[in-house]
Amino acid sequence: MKYDFLDPEALSRLGAIPLEARQAMTGNVAGRHRSPHRGSSVEFAEYRKYVQGDDTRRLDWKAYARSDRYYIKEFEADTNLRAYFVLDASGSMGFSAADDARIQFARKLAATLSYLIIDQGDAAGLSVCQEKIHVEIPPTRRPAHLNHMFEVLANTEPTGETGLVEALHTIAEKVAQRALVIILSDLFCDTNALGDALQHLRYRKHDVAVFHMLDKQEIAFDFERPHRFVDMEDKTSIVAEPTLVADEYREAMKEFMATVKGKCHDIHADYHLITTDQDYEEIVHDFLTSRLTKKGKA
Amino acid sequence: MSFLSPFLLWGVLAASIPIVIHLLNRRRHRTVQWAAMEFLLKATRESRGKKKLKYLIILTCRALAIVALVFAIARPLVGGFLGWSGGKVDTVILVLDRSASMEQQSPGSRESKRASAIASVRKSLSELNSPRLVLIDSASGKAQDVPSPDALEELSSTSATDTKASIPTLISTAIDYVLDHSPGRTEIWVASDLQESDWSPEEGRWAAIRAGLNDLPQKTTLRILSLASAPKDNISIRVLASRRTEDELVLDLELTRTDSDGPAAIPITYSVNGTRSADKVTVNGQTYQFQKRLPLGTREGRGHGFVSLPADTNLRDNVSYFAYGEDSPSKTYLVSEGGEAPEWLELAAAPPGFDRSEATRVSPNSAHDIDWSSATLIIWQAALPDGPVAEEFMRYIESGGAAILLPPLGESDTNFAGLSWGEQSTAPQGQYFIISEWDQADGPLRNGLEGTQIPVPKLKAIKRREILGEATSLALWDDEKPFLVRKVIGDGSAIFIATLPDYTWSNLADADALLPIVQRMIEQGDNRFGSAFAAITGSRKSMAADGETRRRLDTHAKSTSSNAPYEAGVWQLGDRLLATNRPKSEDQWQILTTAKLNSVLEGVPYKLFEDAGESESLAREIWRAFLIAMLVFLITEAILCLQPKLKNTKS
Repeated sequence: MKYDFLDPEALSRLGAIPLEARQAMTGNVAGRHRSPHRGSSVEFAEYRKYVQGDDTRRLDWKAYARSDRYYIKEFEADTNLRAYFVLDASGSMGFSAADDARIQFARKLAATLSYLIIDQGDAAGLSVCQEKIHVEIPPTRRPAHLNHMFEVLANTEPTGETGLVEALHTIAEKVAQRALVIILSDLFCDTNALGDALQHLRYRKHDVAVFHMLDKQEIAFDFERPHRFVDMEDKTSIVAEPTLVADEYREAMKEFMATVKGKCHDIHADYHLITTDQDYEEIVHDFLTSRLTKKGKA
Repeated sequence: MSFLSPFLLWGVLAASIPIVIHLLNRRRHRTVQWAAMEFLLKATRESRGKKKLKYLIILTCRALAIVALVFAIARPLVGGFLGWSGGKVDTVILVLDRSASMEQQSPGSRESKRASAIASVRKSLSELNSPRLVLIDSASGKAQDVPSPDALEELSSTSATDTKASIPTLISTAIDYVLDHSPGRTEIWVASDLQESDWSPEEGRWAAIRAGLNDLPQKTTLRILSLASAPKDNISIRVLASRRTEDELVLDLELTRTDSDGPAAIPITYSVNGTRSADKVTVNGQTYQFQKRLPLGTREGRGHGFVSLPADTNLRDNVSYFAYGEDSPSKTYLVSEGGEAPEWLELAAAPPGFDRSEATRVSPNSAHDIDWSSATLIIWQAALPDGPVAEEFMRYIESGGAAILLPPLGESDTNFAGLSWGEQSTAPQGQYFIISEWDQADGPLRNGLEGTQIPVPKLKAIKRREILGEATSLALWDDEKPFLVRKVIGDGSAIFIATLPDYTWSNLADADALLPIVQRMIEQGDNRFGSAFAAITGSRKSMAADGETRRRLDTHAKSTSSNAPYEAGVWQLGDRLLATNRPKSEDQWQILTTAKLNSVLEGVPYKLFEDAGESESLAREIWRAFLIAMLVFLITEAILCLQPKLKNTKS
């Protein structure tokens, strides 16, 4: 295959599991996902009293016979899902200790999921953000669209400081219809601002999924000798003695992860903490199956 | 603390290795690109304090472990005596005080201070890798090489003596030795009990000694091993005087004890010409003087013996020796201008019934006819002598003679022994000069052995002459002018009396004062002849002259030939019979205070070590302690290093 972040065998294995929206979507075509609107699907939704102007064809005559009142029988509408991938491409996403760089892992996840989404007839789009939104591909259902997305993913290199929070606010404002927003980032930004951005998305009725991508070494901080640590975003550096700072570092990292998880939990986001040494297929598998069970709970 | 291999102390620089490694590690860091910088900065800010301290402790433990190892290898010595400034010593000059007082037992030990000092020095020297040892002992005062410290205890020149020590002389000898022999890095060790009489702090030559020590061309350290502990449970006996009177031997004895709590009955053994007898004397107070008369029977000629006490903490002062010669009459020369006074003086000097006493009158002009060598007492009632007669008179007193000088009837402008006669004065009509106070413990007006007072207050004078010059006043008139003064000159003394036994002057003649004064002066003069048989151990008189051989006569102890001149005893030296005893100063326990020691050695860096007799060695090796310290440092370091790893495993 042309792109090293795609594994056809994995795609075929994962294709059997549909990606479900955890809440009603407002797509523009019929699909497999629930819609907040009443429609013509076979799924019964509710009865409501007839009001003038209603289509008389939708009157439930059996109900009228039983109750001598006019009821309109409503059915749920099924629509398609619009997924927005928000890929953080700031400098910190280039971090790599032993395994793939974080950005490569994010490429794999984004590409695999977008393929699966378009493959099941839903729409997928991509926003790549660095200090600002670098690339923006609106979601479409056309399979040919995938090529464009893969091309962008392949050409995206991590650089500069993160503008994830601003990007999320922008997406929340720009995307009018309900959508599934999938964030792929290390989330190394101000957690309060991040929380606000997630709230913003939630306020706009978006279903939010967060892949919090960290490296195992970033969590364990198992250095033994002194190192000069160079910031991947602003290039500042510090010489640190790991034996002196490891405990405090781990404590700070633990607190950060707990805070991010809490913020995600507050907005009922689908939070997944992953480390780059994990098998991405397994992560996608878990993500898809977990959404099957959580369907309608959000 | 000092070190046997001080050059190895350069290894202490290795203590910097952990620090250097730490600094190099910090410099040789790897550079990593890091994303979670925010947390790292936060951690760095928070990690200061306790952890840094812990890291510093680890580093310190590593450095100290190396220091402790280096110290252990350098073989450290402790013991105070060698102090911190030890190091390789080429020569040790041991100045050993062998005076009689050094035979006092060390506290908590049954060995003498001298033996204790020698044992300590021997062990210290063997721990100093046995440098060259030069001994300067107080008895011979000569420097001698000692082949091995182990030989110290065997040498006759370190054995006990009954001599005194002159520490200034010995230190001067040590200085001369260093100057003459250039013995490399030298230490002068002075082992002494700091008896003040041995150190003579008032001597003027200490200034020269200080200058000598400071000007030595080589680095020389002066160390003083002090054994200055006050004696306990010790009694000493001394023969003050011995003389033969017809068929009796009269011994003036003195007992001195260190503990004066309550009366004590002290058994004394007397040995005269090999015949022993014993009795007990009850002593109150610290010093007790008494007279003992021992029958000699019909034995004629010279004799000798000793008095001794039971063993106590100093065996050396438990015996005192004496020797005596033929009984000879006491001869008093009365130099007088005439008048009534000489009558009374002659009567007092040779009272009827005193067959052994004879008095010869001499006019001042024929004073040169006096046989000074046979005179027991000179009574001079005339203008003070001058010229050759005065010189002879002075020599007579210096050799132990006794003299009584009384005011001349006429004028006297001359000066004798720093004293002269002043104005003659007469008491106002109906009044007398009387004695207000006098020394009842010392001098010719002292109380009798049983405490009987001399009836001095009965003395009344009409006329008197003032005594001018510096002398010890033994009796004062009621207007505090001297009635009787004493001037000690050499081994003898002269007394000046301010009035005459003449009824136009005073009632001195018939008062009961003149007889005891004159008789006591005769007794004192008599001792000059007894003293011909006595000498201080180690003095020139006690040494064998050319052609004389030394033979010990008493049976109290035996002497080795090399140490004999420094031991007390009764000796036959050629034709001479001589009893030698320790000097009186050795029975006096004035210890040189630290202030006085600092004063005599002012400006001289010296180390003082006070040996309490508890430690056998003045220095001992403590490398084990440093190895243990090193282990403690390493274990501490390991524990501090292990803790975070355990924590990591848990997390």
